[in-house]
Amino acid sequence: MRKLQANWAVGTIGILIVLVVPVIFFWPRTAQKSQDPWDYVPVHTTPTSHANIVQGTFETGSDVTRACYECHPDAADQVMHTTHFTWESKPFTVAGRDVPVTIGKANQLNNFCISAQGNQKKCNSCHAGYNWQEGQPYDYTNQDNVDCLVCHADTNLYAKGDYGAPAPGVDLLAAARSVAAPNRENCGACHFNGGGGDNVKHGDLDQGLNFPPADLDVHMGANDFVCTDCHTTSNHAIKGRLVADNYVIDPDEQVACTDCHASSPHTDERLNAHLQTVACQTCHVPAVALDEPTKVSWDWSTAGQDLPEDHYTYLKIKGTFVYEKNVMPQYLWYNGNLSYRYILGDQIDPNVVTVLDQPAGDIKDPTAKIFPFKLHTASQPYDKVYNYLLAPITGGDGGYWTTFDWNSAFELAVPVTGLEYSGQYGFAQTAMYWPSTHMVQPAANALQCNDCHGANGRLDWKTLGYAGDPILWGGRFQKK
Amino acid sequence: MHNFTNLKRYQRIIAAAIFMAVIALGLMVYLVSADRLEESKTQTSPLHPTFEFLDADGVNVLESGEPVSTMKTCGDCHDTDYIEQHNFHADLGLSDIQTNAQVNGQAWDSSNGVFGHWDPLTYRYLTQSGDQLLDLGTPEYLMLYGSRITGGGPATTGRDGQPLAEQAAQKNNPETSYLDPETGQPELWNWSTSGTEEIDCFLCHMPNPNNAARAEVLKNGDFKWANTATLLGSDLVSADSKGAFVWNAGAFDENSQLLPENISIQSPTNDNCAQCHGLVHSSADPLILTSCDLDNPQTAVTGQVISGDKISESGVNLANKETLTQAWDVHAERQVNCVDCHYSLNNPIAYQENSATRPESLLFDPRHLDFGEYLKYPDHNIARGQSAQFNVAPELKGTMRRCESCHAAESIHADWLPYTAKHLSTVACETCHIPQMYAPAIQSYDWTVLTMDSTAASTCRGVENNGGSVTDLVSGFKPVLILRQNVDGDSLVAPYNLVTAWFWVYDDANGFTRPVRLVDLQSVYFVNDTYSPEIMTAFDYDGNGELAGSELRIDTAEKQILISTRLQALGLNNPRISAQVQPYSINHGVVTGSAALSDCRTCHTADSRLSQSMLLADYIPGNVMPEFVVGTNVSASGNLEKSDQALLYQPEPAADDLYIFGHSRYGWVDWLGGLFFLAVLLGVSAHGGMRIVRTARSRRSEHEIKRVYMYQSYERFWHWLQTALIIILLLTGLIIHRPDLFGGLSFRGMVTIHNVSAAILAINAFLSLFYHLTTGEIRSFIPRPYGFFDDAIEQGKYYLRGIFKRAPHPFEKTPERKMNPLQQVTYLGILNVLLPLQGITGILMWGAQNWPQVGNFLGGLPGLAAFHTLVAWLFAAFIIAHVYLTTTGGTHALDSVKAMVTGWEDVEVHEPIESLDMEEKK
Repeated sequence: MRKLQANWAVGTIGILIVLVVPVIFFWPRTAQKSQDPWDYVPVHTTPTSHANIVQGTFETGSDVTRACYECHPDAADQVMHTTHFTWESKPFTVAGRDVPVTIGKANQLNNFCISAQGNQKKCNSCHAGYNWQEGQPYDYTNQDNVDCLVCHADTNLYAKGDYGAPAPGVDLLAAARSVAAPNRENCGACHFNGGGGDNVKHGDLDQGLNFPPADLDVHMGANDFVCTDCHTTSNHAIKGRLVADNYVIDPDEQVACTDCHASSPHTDERLNAHLQTVACQTCHVPAVALDEPTKVSWDWSTAGQDLPEDHYTYLKIKGTFVYEKNVMPQYLWYNGNLSYRYILGDQIDPNVVTVLDQPAGDIKDPTAKIFPFKLHTASQPYDKVYNYLLAPITGGDGGYWTTFDWNSAFELAVPVTGLEYSGQYGFAQTAMYWPSTHMVQPAANALQCNDCHGANGRLDWKTLGYAGDPILWGGRFQKK
Repeated sequence: MHNFTNLKRYQRIIAAAIFMAVIALGLMVYLVSADRLEESKTQTSPLHPTFEFLDADGVNVLESGEPVSTMKTCGDCHDTDYIEQHNFHADLGLSDIQTNAQVNGQAWDSSNGVFGHWDPLTYRYLTQSGDQLLDLGTPEYLMLYGSRITGGGPATTGRDGQPLAEQAAQKNNPETSYLDPETGQPELWNWSTSGTEEIDCFLCHMPNPNNAARAEVLKNGDFKWANTATLLGSDLVSADSKGAFVWNAGAFDENSQLLPENISIQSPTNDNCAQCHGLVHSSADPLILTSCDLDNPQTAVTGQVISGDKISESGVNLANKETLTQAWDVHAERQVNCVDCHYSLNNPIAYQENSATRPESLLFDPRHLDFGEYLKYPDHNIARGQSAQFNVAPELKGTMRRCESCHAAESIHADWLPYTAKHLSTVACETCHIPQMYAPAIQSYDWTVLTMDSTAASTCRGVENNGGSVTDLVSGFKPVLILRQNVDGDSLVAPYNLVTAWFWVYDDANGFTRPVRLVDLQSVYFVNDTYSPEIMTAFDYDGNGELAGSELRIDTAEKQILISTRLQALGLNNPRISAQVQPYSINHGVVTGSAALSDCRTCHTADSRLSQSMLLADYIPGNVMPEFVVGTNVSASGNLEKSDQALLYQPEPAADDLYIFGHSRYGWVDWLGGLFFLAVLLGVSAHGGMRIVRTARSRRSEHEIKRVYMYQSYERFWHWLQTALIIILLLTGLIIHRPDLFGGLSFRGMVTIHNVSAAILAINAFLSLFYHLTTGEIRSFIPRPYGFFDDAIEQGKYYLRGIFKRAPHPFEKTPERKMNPLQQVTYLGILNVLLPLQGITGILMWGAQNWPQVGNFLGGLPGLAAFHTLVAWLFAAFIIAHVYLTTTGGTHALDSVKAMVTGWEDVEVHEPIESLDMEEKK
């Protein structure tokens, strides 16, 4: 009988196979699913509470740092080698320059507050370090100088003040006991306030992202991402580079949409065909400054006057501004690098607009894509004799913000920057491009065909190098 | 041979002078042409040469100050006569107008076009020659509708083909008279002062034509100035303080030719088409629409909006707007413009021969008209579709580019839509790709009454409060699906809006039926611009002195008699209410696949989209049931149903020979099959019950039992595989038949399982047939003809009597002879009749996608499916009987089942003689 039972089982299995295999084979295929981006999103772990771990009394920030590396011996040393601490990029050897150049707040200027050099008192409240002193060189090699708390402490318990020191009144023990993995508020304390205020500089990073609604940013809002979900971090080295502070960016250092999303994520073939020419951001970041206005121009030449003051229009210490909300980005070819970065001492032509960071790429560059940038223009001081941009002392002792005397502000900067000042200054037009890559919108809010194509499209095809709207004239890869 | 030095001095001077002159001339030509190149950069129309504006006498308008004549001005280069003659936008049905011919079966229609076809929405009736009463004469037609037509055709030419200006001026001639709004009496029209309305080239070929100014001029009867007014707002012409048009010499050069920057001639854009056809939105401001406003006729009657904007970004107060992030029309979003599909029929760039006439072997016909010839003779017959509502130029129906002209529909759908070919040959693309209208559309017009504005009591679907204000909540509507007969012979289910109109008609003195004139209706309803006292008495139920919408309707015999009597008092014979339903095709407002209908059970369920009804009216004026307008290309095979006071159109897919799995079924088939199934169930229950009761007390049979290896392993495998398959087929078949009873199951999945199982069943059947034939086992199934009936009766007696007494089985079951006579004949029926029939009908239904001809020969899906369902019931009944009878086979109830599992069966031993003995006894 055992044999028969075996037969019975074999028969049943045989019948099942005969039934199931063909059904599976002919089962209707649904449209191919894109890869699931959630597979690539880090899982948030519950942080170890340090409430009972951290002991002792802390007089200075460095006291806390020393306590940190008792248990995390490599941490401070790791931070010391990141740009959060060095404020200076790695050296770049670029065509047209004799010596390798580095870029960063430590040594270069922008067209907002112009230069951090000599203005450590104010600017360095966003440096991830302590112990800055007026007019003194800084010890970038002392790991006691690393500020652990700015990234890891609860932002309700910790903030930085002048010279990067803990703000007066901060309870360092409480702050130290609150440490955890950085959240949006940690990063946002500096990055949402670039340029000296909420959303001033970037346009796509504002304090609204601390508690973002779904329509402000799909990742942080609808899906509650924190910054480090995309800006993944290894040994305190954080992925993601800002083009204004770099010349050439290794794709491995950069955050890309395709880190999580499929490279052909749309069901529509026509949309996927766009991806060799159009960056994801172009359609999915249709506008910046969705919530808080961002600064689009800054005229330093009107500073120093006793005019009515308003954060959004005029300040005596800074001059005249224009802020805009819901800003449509500028669209440029961009291969991820710069073709030019203004380096301190570079000659300018004061009669033309000097672009301080020119995104690299053009229609003939197959690696370049059309990318959205927030454009910030400024009228900023330059030396009329030497024809280079000047980096005044503003927030520092005896700086322009106290004296309202440009000449002394430039004189004071000479020993700091090492650039001579002729005694004659003027104001030159400059521009900077800031990539628009946050405030990402889901498909429902993304740009659609007629936003770029057709009579009312937002792209200037001729300027981009096309003969005309590629919907009629063909794209750049069609003619071979 | 001379050379230069040999020439005489004066010759040399002359030669040098000629040389210099040539150089100078060349330089001048170069400079002038360089200058021109420079100029042409500012020209908005890149290639169109400059030209002068001529009046009707061919004199430059700057000189004469007369209105521009497009026929002369454009006719300088383009053959405007050709253009007018090849132009249904100009002709509008004039060329085939026939007096009292009842065109398309409509008692009052004199042509297929808007000039001669009566539209109950705009109501005014173009009076035919010889009619007793004048309603709309040609002059007033142009005043009312002139801004909605291009001009030319009936706007310049009489119905006899002669110019309007040459028509005999008579008050009873509708071409030369109009109804005086004050007196309501015909008055003579003077065409020589008004002039006529030539084709307005500017209206369609300039970026910003001023149709509002044109409409104003037309309304005042200054027809000859219409085309000049279209230019108002450009630099070319301005209106002086008295409203007279003055040509601006500054817009022209010293030769009275247009300055290049003023040349803006272009191909028609969507905005040009929109002026007459419907709502097109392309500006940066949010789209706003006025519900059911006949100023945008196509939008008003269908809800179609042509815009590339996201619906969510419009200014329409639309329900769930924030979720509607698709564009109003995907083609507009993707920059496919009206003229890309509705192109000029001899445009060498756009024209492609229709696939219906192009040989299949030819992908592309490279032969085209020369560009110059085209520009001289551009065919202004625009490629058109086959909508239900426009019958002008019927010979051009189906000439436009349709979905399938550009889209490879079959290959896009093949990877997910089962029965792709069948779906595409049954369902129009629009049905799934225009699932919902997001703008309101007209529902009904009731002209049996007049509102205070002298218009019909109208209703608008898809918006609350009939869309009286832009803040009313718009919900949109789902189009009703009706079978459309295409000119190429295809019949496809396609989306429509249905507009129902009720109106009074009368028989005129010539015995022709005509709609009652608006002026007569007004005198019936109004006295001194307010409702007459008799009307108020009859209509004003609540006595508040006003007629609310619910009061202003003819819902009683008294009201109807009152109006009818008052119409008769005006001299109108036999006034009565007539009503019609006009289907309006919906072809625009297309969405991409992601927003299209793609769930099988939208249609394949009891509550199928194909049977979704459409409300036609909230009440039925005068209780007059409307009829579908004849001469359309829709089957309109559904029923008009009353529901309370309201009127519904209920589609009947079965009336169009559509069999929709999951929706269609024949009640009698299911009743008959179900009853048979129940009868068998009851029969075996009764039989089984009796067996239990009657054999409880009797002893088991004394027969000797023998263990026999009854079934070979292959036989058992075949049997159980078939068992599983038949059960799966019955279950999935039931789910496909009634998906509404089995929520949550994938319809597509069930169809796949059903088809695959059926294929396995067929293979299994053929293999087993092979086995039974080769092994001779087939003999078990074949009844012995000799004594068959005796044996069968014997077996029948056993089941009816012996079995209750535990009598022995009449026949011994042996491996060689497994079946008793009744089994043999049953299996013969099942395996040789039912199974093949079920298989064949199933295969034919499956084949309906690729070779429907065979199935159609046998009644198509409706016939096949009915049969398939009936046989399925028989199979289900058989299974009940079969399973029950297995319990009768052995000594114990489960013996036979065990045998089919193990192969070994305990059978009664019969003496070989026994059966013979029994036969002999008889």
